Amino acid sequence: MPSLKDIKTQINSVGSTKKITSAMKMVAASKLRRSQEKAEAARPYSSRLEEMLSSLASSAASGEGIIKLLTGTGNDQNYIVVPVSADRGLCGGFNSSINRETFKLVKSLEGNGKKVQLMPVGKKSRDFFNRVMKDQIIESFVDLNVSSTGYESALNISNKLQELYFDGKFDKCILVFNKFKSAISQEVTQQQLIPLDVSNSEKEEEKENSSNAIYDYEPDEETILKDLLPKNVSIQIFKVLLESDAGEQGARMAAMDNATRNAGEMIDSLTLKYNRTRQAFITKELIEIISGAESI
Amino acid sequence: MATISFDLVSPENLVFNDEVGTIIVPGKDGDLGILPGHSKVMSSLRPGRVMVYSEDKNLIKSFFVSGGFAEINPEKCIVLAESVVEVNSLEKTSIEKEIQELENKEGKETEEQLSVAKAKLEAINVNYYDKI
Repeated sequence: MPSLKDIKTQINSVGSTKKITSAMKMVAASKLRRSQEKAEAARPYSSRLEEMLSSLASSAASGEGIIKLLTGTGNDQNYIVVPVSADRGLCGGFNSSINRETFKLVKSLEGNGKKVQLMPVGKKSRDFFNRVMKDQIIESFVDLNVSSTGYESALNISNKLQELYFDGKFDKCILVFNKFKSAISQEVTQQQLIPLDVSNSEKEEEKENSSNAIYDYEPDEETILKDLLPKNVSIQIFKVLLESDAGEQGARMAAMDNATRNAGEMIDSLTLKYNRTRQAFITKELIEIISGAESI
Repeated sequence: MATISFDLVSPENLVFNDEVGTIIVPGKDGDLGILPGHSKVMSSLRPGRVMVYSEDKNLIKSFFVSGGFAEINPEKCIVLAESVVEVNSLEKTSIEKEIQELENKEGKETEEQLSVAKAKLEAINVNYYDKI
């Protein structure tokens, strides 16, 4: 049976953990608000860019050069998978679910005879894949701080990806990231980044609308498309980074809220145990005194 | 007189969104003046000024964009710009300094930055289109 002092120390340590987790929860909550605003502010740009692209995409024939971002290389042998995780832990299943999903995806692609390379974004996925598939990592990006650096960080990733793509290092690029659904729930999502996937169902309608609307292009269709496609890659990455950032804060808030609640429960049960032990101790001493007094 | 709805969007946020009378955007091959009922045009932009006018032709705002795209149809004009600053908030001295620094460097990226910086300086100095 633990002594009174042991229980007291345990209560104290759980108490200080509780203080830390509740502080982290509040920090995460305020960061969440900021990240969420950023993510929402970026939405108009990416959605309009997509609209523009989808009205252009139908007119693009297969071709060389930049158009390949849209039409693909014609092969699908070499894949590059980009898991987007957080740089820090203590946010519940946020990072591990990304890693698990990516791992599964890589294994299933390899099972189909494809070659897969990895380009982890965020410390947690870099560290994980450094342990399990070190030789498949070609590049990693950590400490992005997307909420403070903004668009620049996305640009770095996108430039690297496009450089590799035009060097013929891969045919398809898939992003694995946490989609921000609400403050308490994130959904692990896979998105094909290159070649561009314009076959979303919601855009089918728009396509019909825009098919009877013929645009004039200035300077011309191809030039615009050539400008637009690399930009779209960067914007998609930017959007994903922002969503993941907001998701991370949300996940951390939820995890820390849980931890705080658990710590509270633990303190309650420990306090109960402490009081019981104290009482048992007193009773024991009383019995000793009484039996001592009787024997005289 | 009719109005046209105008959106100016940067990757970080929606900068401007309102019904306006006239817009002038810096198209790649020359400036485009956009009035309500403009035919459908999609254009890429060069670094320059995006000017927004009210229905009675008074200048509401002028922005500097470093490039991007414009999608125009009879009811709506959308400008997707990479970076947007209000021309009034540009500082001449700091841009001149930037140009000087860039001129000492070389490389493709520097060239691009230099042309953007020069366009910025021009945007401050010129005042045509202030009245239309």
